Amino acid sequence: MQNRPPGFGNPWLQLVLSVACVFVSELLLKRGATEVAEPESAFSWTGINGLSSPLVWWAILLIIASFISWLYVLRYIPLSMAYPLSRVVDILVPLGCWIFLGELISTLRWCGIALVVIGLALVAKPIAQMEERL
Amino acid sequence: MSFLAFFLIVISLLTFVAAQLILKRAMELSARGGMRNSYFVSRVTIGIVLMTISFFLTLGLLQRFDLSYLYPFQGLSVIFITMLAAVVLKEKLSMRLAIGALLITAGIVLVSMS
Repeated sequence: MQNRPPGFGNPWLQLVLSVACVFVSELLLKRGATEVAEPESAFSWTGINGLSSPLVWWAILLIIASFISWLYVLRYIPLSMAYPLSRVVDILVPLGCWIFLGELISTLRWCGIALVVIGLALVAKPIAQMEERL
Repeated sequence: MSFLAFFLIVISLLTFVAAQLILKRAMELSARGGMRNSYFVSRVTIGIVLMTISFFLTLGLLQRFDLSYLYPFQGLSVIFITMLAAVVLKEKLSMRLAIGALLITAGIVLVSMS
């Protein structure tokens, strides 16, 4: 790990920002997509009609921001540490769906989400080591 | 869930994973060969096109399904990376990876039943 710049340039702060941007962008995409949804039209499977929602554009900005701060994070923090930590978003997103989007999550779905999170926790480190070599 | 929806979920994940691998390769090459060659530019272009396809497919799916339903499927991308690493890079699959992949798959089956 290289010496870390203080303040806004702190890579750990950037990691938090990156995860927060991904989290918020997922919720915005869902809101935006629902706003303009046309489930009857076959064309809407392409998702292109989603661009008519401003929320989708905000989400795109956040995705770009998260990408830039992620690249910055990778300069300072080893991938085998940063990648597993970034997976915390897998817990945040279902919680956000429940709290902010009011999605009703059945016990069965919570159990499924929990299994995915445990599985990800197991593989996150080996995956990061692999990517390091890619 | 219809077959079409499942098919599109898998395609959106596969395009995303492929884009990551291609971009990673391209960036590695740029460290040696610089960015002003057609090989680098074409790889980056393919990567961006694939990521765009993945993004729009997700946007189409979000118009039809709960986010809490679709999101766990992203765990599949980890399994795809694991398999690709084993096949393309001849990595050995550890027990830990295999168990993790099984848990993720079981979780996704539960979510898709919900």
